[in-house]
Amino acid sequence: MNTIDEKAKRYNGGWKLFLKEWVILILLLALVLICSLFLERFRTTNNIMNILRQASFTAIIAMGEFFVILTGQMDMSVSSIIGMVSIFFAGFVVKMGLPVWLALVLVLGLTVLVGIINGVLVVYGKMPSFIATLVVMNVVRGIIYLYSKGLPISGLPEGFNFMGSGYVGIVPFPVILMFIVAIILYILTAHTSVGRSFFAVGGNLEASKLSGINVKCIGILAFVFCAALTGVGALGLTAKTLAGNVTLGDELLFDVMTIVVLGGTSLTGGRGRIFGVVIGALFLQVIGNAMVLLGINTYWQWVVKGAILIVVVLIDSNTKRDIVKTKQKTQAIATEEK
Amino acid sequence: MIIGIQAGGKAPSEKSPLIQVKHCTMEFPGVRALDDVGFTLMPGECHGLVGENGAGKSTLSKCIIGENHMTKGELYVEDKKIRIPTYSIKESQKLGIQVVHQEFQLMTDMTGLENIFIGHYQTGAGLINWKALGKKAKELMDFLQCDVNLNVPVKYLRTAEKQLIQLAKAVLSESKVLILDELTSVLQEKDILNIYRIIGILKARGMGIIYISHRLNEIFECCDSYTVLCDGRHVNSGSVSDINKAQLIKMIIGREMTQAFPPINQRFGAMMLEVKGLTAPKAFRDISFQVRAGEVIGLAGLLGAGKTELVHAIFGNHKIVGGEIFVRGKKAEIKNPRQAIRLGIGLIPDERRTLGLNMQFDIKDNTTLPSMDKFRKFKIFQDHSAEARAAFDINEKLELNYYSLWQNVKNLSGGNQQKIVIAKWMLRNSEIILLDEPTRGIDVGAKFEIYKLINELTKQGKCVVLVSPELEELIGLCNRVYIMFEGSIMDIVEGKRKTQEVIINSLLGVN
Repeated sequence: MNTIDEKAKRYNGGWKLFLKEWVILILLLALVLICSLFLERFRTTNNIMNILRQASFTAIIAMGEFFVILTGQMDMSVSSIIGMVSIFFAGFVVKMGLPVWLALVLVLGLTVLVGIINGVLVVYGKMPSFIATLVVMNVVRGIIYLYSKGLPISGLPEGFNFMGSGYVGIVPFPVILMFIVAIILYILTAHTSVGRSFFAVGGNLEASKLSGINVKCIGILAFVFCAALTGVGALGLTAKTLAGNVTLGDELLFDVMTIVVLGGTSLTGGRGRIFGVVIGALFLQVIGNAMVLLGINTYWQWVVKGAILIVVVLIDSNTKRDIVKTKQKTQAIATEEK
Repeated sequence: MIIGIQAGGKAPSEKSPLIQVKHCTMEFPGVRALDDVGFTLMPGECHGLVGENGAGKSTLSKCIIGENHMTKGELYVEDKKIRIPTYSIKESQKLGIQVVHQEFQLMTDMTGLENIFIGHYQTGAGLINWKALGKKAKELMDFLQCDVNLNVPVKYLRTAEKQLIQLAKAVLSESKVLILDELTSVLQEKDILNIYRIIGILKARGMGIIYISHRLNEIFECCDSYTVLCDGRHVNSGSVSDINKAQLIKMIIGREMTQAFPPINQRFGAMMLEVKGLTAPKAFRDISFQVRAGEVIGLAGLLGAGKTELVHAIFGNHKIVGGEIFVRGKKAEIKNPRQAIRLGIGLIPDERRTLGLNMQFDIKDNTTLPSMDKFRKFKIFQDHSAEARAAFDINEKLELNYYSLWQNVKNLSGGNQQKIVIAKWMLRNSEIILLDEPTRGIDVGAKFEIYKLINELTKQGKCVVLVSPELEELIGLCNRVYIMFEGSIMDIVEGKRKTQEVIINSLLGVN
């Protein structure tokens, strides 16, 4: 009875486990269905595309944060990296007159540098990531305020606007960008050894080290991914307004964290899915959109998002127990079969 | 016999036992840790609980303190029957049962005084009355006839002094039963004598003491009676004065030695691993040994002898300050586990749950983790189906008992989990296998399968370094046993000298 097919193709836990792991997708579909039924203005193509576009850059940033959380760490510096990219990009192009492509390379290089600093502080300095990135966040914020004196820099070339608000057919360019990034990252996480190492390191650092994974390199790489993807997202946000602004990312950190957790990423590391993050971003955007359409005060969004985060974390810590139970049951059945 | 008690109180035979365990059976998923075990502890008695690792000593003590709930059987504390399902550590503490472990359960940054009274602070008007506590602590220390500085953070104290604080803490809560779980394994001779003295004081006070230890001499030096467990079964109980050490050892080893081990491979190949003068501060010094292909060498030693650190050092996971490692005759610079793996070294660590396996991964991912670089499509993409096939083949070969390759490793039995850790390195085809306590916490049947596997590896021309606390295992599996004592190699035994007695003597540093 021991054939490879039998033992390889059995999916332990069955459809129940599948449902639990993709519960956010079902919730999103349900939410979209309810909104389309009851809100006339929601179901217009225009509105749907708007939601997708607004979700896209936060989603890209959240995919970066996903890697850090996957390794069991946390990156608080996201908000000031956004501001840094925005103001320096605008500064390079408008003030210094550099070509756009060179400015792009330079700011992305800067984000990589910040990522490496974060990673080195955490991995080699053995600082708790919360503290290390909090420090980096404030230092970066200080630097960009010194550079810009807190004032926005406007006057970016019109053509750059395409990155933030352009369309390919009826689909906004940011949405296409989001899916391209997601697909590349999906292949990375699911089909390369580097990608799998992130899960291994988050799941059990010591065991991964003893299995020959370069845990230090992976630890730093997570922060570099986070900073660089934040950079890409920040460029998109800047392109929308055609102006560099230091405060651009100030309110985004909370959203990013919520999205990552909403997407089913375990806060203790080792578990998560890149498309979960995309779905999480869409879910949060749909809720925000529906609240706007219903004419609810925008400040309520903060309250609602906070409540969502609490509920999701509660469900997450409880489903873990359930999954264990389901697996124990299947195991018991397997033993009986013999 | 203590005449004072006999004269003043009832005769010993009339005393009722402090603890009585009857027909205790304890089952964990897949393992029967205790099988119909009986145990009786009288007041004023020091009862030695002995047996090999995995014999069920700590499981029995955990049943007594309520950390585990016995599957079947009865527990009486001072003739009162305990309701097992609702029994808890809290309740056992209320009944006056205290445990002192070898691992320190002290708050290292708090003073001895604070540690002793933690949870029992006397308060006056909502404030802690330090004066009264200090006085009480002094009385306690006088009673135990010790002199320990209680006013500095305990992290500055010596190991033995920390143990005394733990003892004082246990005595303070008016306990009737004290379980000392391998308390002395990290202590030196002088400090052990001090512990004996304190045990004497406590016994005179009418307390019952359960004494768990690997050092058999201690059983004869301070215990009145003994109970031997072997593979979860109760072998014998009686008075220590009625037996000698040889009889006790025989009881502990118990089962017939003949069936337990496959024949040791005697066909050796080229030199695989050679270690010269390896030194790491605070762990081991000047260690030298050689292993040839097809050979198994054993590392014996007590807790703290530096065995685990040594194998980790060879694997590049523990910093060394001196010495050289030669792999296949060539000098090797091993700075991290990755380099060691590339040289064909594999480590099966002692803690499989925290060091060996990733508990969030499934069987396939755990098995292929060190060999990911061997399954690539176009050099970058992982070939999942080839990985699954390889993992399947190797796990079938190891007769792993599993349901699906995508099954989480968390709920497999200890023996099966250990097989996966071994499978990791067999899949990688590592030729130098470092095994650190591979049979820890797994049952006899699974142990034998691991033994067969080790044997199989040597037949394939691989070499094995085996660390084990079980002498029987070392004797039964190794061509040669290196005995470590406090970080250096004391003795090398092979051939006819490879007996329990020789090893035990060197282990304890007696020569």
